[in-house]
Amino acid sequence: MSDETPSRTSPVARFFRAGEIETTDVRGMPVVVRLGPDDASRAAVAGICDLSAFARAGLKGPGAADWLRAQALPVPDTPNSWEPLEGGGRVLRLALSEFLIEDGPRGDAAARLSARLCAGIPQVYPVPRQDAAFALTGTRIGELLAQTCNVDLPGALAGTRSVVLTQMVSVSVSVLRDDNGGLPCYRLWCDYTMGAYLWETLAEIAAETGGGPVGTASVLREGGLG
Amino acid sequence: MKLLRCPVNGARPVSEFVYGGEVREMPGDACTDAEWADYVFNRSGIPGVKIEWWYHVASGTWFLAKRDVAADHVLQTWLPGEEVPE
Amino acid sequence: MTARLPVVEGEWIDRSRGVPFTFDGQRFEGYAGDVPASALWAAGVRVLGRSFKYHRPRGVLSFANHDVNTLMQAGARLNFRADVEGLEPGMALTAVNTAGTAARDGLRILDRLSAFLPVGFYYKAFHRPKGLAPFWENVFRRVTGLGRVDFSTPRLATPKRYDFADVLVVGAGPSGLRAALRAGQAGARVVLVDENARIGGSLGYQRGGERRSRDTLVELEAAIAALPNVSVRPGTLAAGWYADHWVPLVDASRMTKLRAKAVVVAQGVFEQPAVFRNNDIPGVMLASAAQRLMYRYAVKPMHVALVLTANAEGYRAALDLLANGVEVAAVVDLRQRADDEAAEAAVIARGVRVLHGHCVFEAEARADRLVAARVCPLDDSGEPRTSHAIHVACDGILMSVGWAPAAALLYQSGCVMRYDTAVEQFVPAKLAPGVFAAGRVNGVHDLEARLLDGERAGAEAAAWAGFHTDPVPAVPGLTSTPSHPWPIVGHPGGKNFVDFDEDLQVRDFLDAAQEGFDNIELLKRFTTVGMGPSQGKHSNMNAIRILARIRGQSPGEVGTTTARPFFHPVPLSHLAGRGFTARRETPVHERHERLGAAWMQAGIWLRPEYYREADRPKAECVRAEIRAVRSGVGLIDVGTLGKMELHGPDAAAFLERLYTGRFAGLKVGMSRYGLMTDETGVVIDDGVIARLADEHFYFTTTTTGAAAVYCEAQRWNAIWKLRVGLVNVTGAFAAVNLAGPRSRTVLARLGTQDLSRDAFPYLGVRETEVGGIPARVMRVGFVGELGYEIHVPAQYGACLWDRLMEAGREFDIRPFGVEAQRALRLEKGHVIIGQDTDGLTTADEAGLGWAVRMEKPFFVGKRSLEIIRKRGARQTLVGFELDPGSSAVPLECHLVIRDGEIAGRVTSVLESETLGRTVGLVFVRPELAKEGTRLEIRVDGGAIVAATVVRTPFYDPDGARQEPEHE
Repeated sequence: MSDETPSRTSPVARFFRAGEIETTDVRGMPVVVRLGPDDASRAAVAGICDLSAFARAGLKGPGAADWLRAQALPVPDTPNSWEPLEGGGRVLRLALSEFLIEDGPRGDAAARLSARLCAGIPQVYPVPRQDAAFALTGTRIGELLAQTCNVDLPGALAGTRSVVLTQMVSVSVSVLRDDNGGLPCYRLWCDYTMGAYLWETLAEIAAETGGGPVGTASVLREGGLG
Repeated sequence: MKLLRCPVNGARPVSEFVYGGEVREMPGDACTDAEWADYVFNRSGIPGVKIEWWYHVASGTWFLAKRDVAADHVLQTWLPGEEVPE
Repeated sequence: MTARLPVVEGEWIDRSRGVPFTFDGQRFEGYAGDVPASALWAAGVRVLGRSFKYHRPRGVLSFANHDVNTLMQAGARLNFRADVEGLEPGMALTAVNTAGTAARDGLRILDRLSAFLPVGFYYKAFHRPKGLAPFWENVFRRVTGLGRVDFSTPRLATPKRYDFADVLVVGAGPSGLRAALRAGQAGARVVLVDENARIGGSLGYQRGGERRSRDTLVELEAAIAALPNVSVRPGTLAAGWYADHWVPLVDASRMTKLRAKAVVVAQGVFEQPAVFRNNDIPGVMLASAAQRLMYRYAVKPMHVALVLTANAEGYRAALDLLANGVEVAAVVDLRQRADDEAAEAAVIARGVRVLHGHCVFEAEARADRLVAARVCPLDDSGEPRTSHAIHVACDGILMSVGWAPAAALLYQSGCVMRYDTAVEQFVPAKLAPGVFAAGRVNGVHDLEARLLDGERAGAEAAAWAGFHTDPVPAVPGLTSTPSHPWPIVGHPGGKNFVDFDEDLQVRDFLDAAQEGFDNIELLKRFTTVGMGPSQGKHSNMNAIRILARIRGQSPGEVGTTTARPFFHPVPLSHLAGRGFTARRETPVHERHERLGAAWMQAGIWLRPEYYREADRPKAECVRAEIRAVRSGVGLIDVGTLGKMELHGPDAAAFLERLYTGRFAGLKVGMSRYGLMTDETGVVIDDGVIARLADEHFYFTTTTTGAAAVYCEAQRWNAIWKLRVGLVNVTGAFAAVNLAGPRSRTVLARLGTQDLSRDAFPYLGVRETEVGGIPARVMRVGFVGELGYEIHVPAQYGACLWDRLMEAGREFDIRPFGVEAQRALRLEKGHVIIGQDTDGLTTADEAGLGWAVRMEKPFFVGKRSLEIIRKRGARQTLVGFELDPGSSAVPLECHLVIRDGEIAGRVTSVLESETLGRTVGLVFVRPELAKEGTRLEIRVDGGAIVAATVVRTPFYDPDGARQEPEHE
């Protein structure tokens, strides 16, 4: 049988047809860097980008916060908030005592954490994270949010390191506000198996709003992945 | 659409929640079969203030709410294990 | 000859853009900014529609969408309100409810037959003979429709959106504008909506022949435009009020669901008609309708007018007419004395005759338009003295006799209204928290007072939303009474209309009350007052006044009926919105698509039902899949299964409470069937529970039960407080089932795990690698062959599938779908929760009593099962096989019949190629459960087929397929 490293597949991989697409590989998962020549202009209006490839780790439990501190990671103090990590990653505190750690383009905190997280740590329960993760950006991205979410996301997330756990088009999501060179930008995470439906729905609205799917080059600062 | 205040996530539309029934005490083993059947099948329809289980789906949070079911007015919400607010 | 006026300051029309259109086939031209009714009125057309029941000619009444005299059809667009919806080039408008045209309606004969069509006639007539009822129904459908549906109209759905504000102000008249300004100055995020094409409300058209209103409007518009935090939205209707200030805003393009922290209702009042004989002739209109015609569309409403009034506004309307070249033949004041001497003096100074203490007794028509009015003095009891009638020639009558509050949103928010005799109007008595009323809807009628009232409401609303501002002084008292308590004149000839939409006259109410429908709710439903398209906006108040007089009560005591959303009709396209139908896909989805999967819904998941092969029907494909599993190896995606991780020192104890079985002694590396019941002992879920470590379990649930099991398990632990952590990993793992005699061989190609019987027994679980992918592998037997269920992180699902298919290629591995899986499991007699059980099936009834361990001190449902066991089972699930050569095959839910009674029901059935016979599962009465019992099953059409109770499993009863001796 093949000795190749097993490949990882994004929940929305099948929506990208070969052709003008420029991709790169992130730990075995193909990632779209550029979809076409119009990426930047689409992203400036209403872009949606697939960031499922980043490494993630998750845990919850009464001992989770202390354990994270013991791993020398910044722990958000309040429920539903986040702290940045070096290399573009983040630590999210979801509700009271659950944490999501995500690596950015550089940085390996989540990858290292995954290796250490296992069953048997008292009061710390590992949460396998296989999220569909997207970025939404652009001057008109508020229109997309207004059509899909019953919570005032721009209002709730403006100027804060808050996380909102809510539902968009019947899908449970975690949302926070990011920075994309001054353009409004939101990050969201949902269950892998809802990813295709969420992507399709948001991409359709983004296209109607004058944008559409874009590659990571239009979304990640500091050189992105490519 | 009605708003409901999750103790952890704040005020949210009621569509983000699942109702878990009125908080009821399970009778002990010594109860009669009739008392057990009443616990298992019957529910109180009396109007007034009740304490209810509610679940915020997106965050997986169970909490308790004191609600006047006749006026459909939620007085307080709190997490299980916390002190019941006045 | 046009009745278009020279340019009027503030007019809404753009005279540089002509707009051609047709009405009932005749060509006309209006201006951009016109509504069709204004363009037609300007062209001299007077008959704009026909009434609902009697087909009487109708013209302009409210000109504000408070009546449907001018309801038309615009091509495929139904329910077109020609008095408020914009005129577009090329529009082809037709009158509705006519045989022919509005001008020459073939059904106008019905007006002559009105004596045979009294109120509620259809409750009593046309029922007998019964056989003719469909004939009459057909007649009525054709005679009473308000338009013709074009079934080729494309389906439209406009996306909805959400919006948020601190203060929502509904109505942009003087009070609303001031309220929005004040709240905006306080710093609140304000949304101001008005259903009209432009803001301003009555400031735009109730000018009283002077400049003040118009100047105030211009000033307020400019002040609001300067505030970036105030969003002004004309052409937007607030359609209703829902819990916690949730208000749908409807405009031409979509519905926006707005959440506000506070709401100011400044929607004003509906002007009410006076009731006298022939008050519906074209030319008789509300005073505000005439004012709108003049100041919005620059249309002269009539040449010679008679103004019927009971308030100062009527005199001001007369001054508006005079300012625009209309001759005013007389002002007829129902009151003995006016209370605004300034307005009356100004009218008299223009040479207009004013008649106090008089009424209009009846209007006269010729050729379907008004030509004169008969005016009578009122005696001391308010009755007309017809002997002293005065004949006044006129082609227009303005009615300015009173108003009713547009309080629908207040009612919906729970406001309590009371009848105030000072204003002869319902006013808010107690408002809901966060809801504020301002202006005429609040009973405040003088312009200065309305402005102040709006400012007060805006300040209070802003404060409610957290934006504090200086308080506003209270509103000064009323100086005049705007509404007349009884603007109704009886007439022996009737045709004095109260509800113009429903063609209801005064005597209809008297008749209804006489028949016993003398309560407001009954009166409404028997007469249908207020049930027409305008929902009582111009008719409810007079109906209440009439009923009050009949009962000898005050209008407040009579009460009102409930005003429900929506305030005006809302297009279905807006309500449809963009449909969001959530679906879940497994990580292997794309591979199935490529393999030709025929998709089916399992809850919100998509699963392959079977895999299509060119030119082969479904049944053949499914049979081929079954054969592959029984004789070689098959692969199925079971990723939709619920999957849970359970950690902690109390993990085993938790499972013992949640499930019916024993798990404390389950060995690490082994798995066991888990059955879950609810508190009543009914089976609700099942799965496989695997122990990966002392304090680490991994268990599955049914596809549709996953979310509910997780949710309920968390709730139980909030009560039990055991030291456990439960994680829902349903979407985090992909899972496949590799099944068939060759499955072990295939799996062996992909890893180093020892798969021999001793190293990996039946029901064992191993954490290992498959194809280089970290995996949990369980030996399972759901389909009755040697098989392995492999779980990997979701991102590796597609890769795992590829590697298994590749490794199995030399053994003709075949993907199989849900249909084949269900057949395979049925051949083994395995129960599917929800298919072979229903909402009342207990564990024993389903034949799963073996999974229940009553020696445990507690599990959910235990006590109920004890009680049920004492009582004895009412039914048992058993296997059956059909006699060979049966004429028909039963379906699920076909009944077992014994001695003419229902004795059971089929739950699953299969024509099995493997077994060469038709088998299935069936519920039967316990006395019929013995092996060998003969059953009679009734199929569609009533035929009976014979079957025998047999033992399950049907296939491989000794389980030898799980331990093949060789490969």
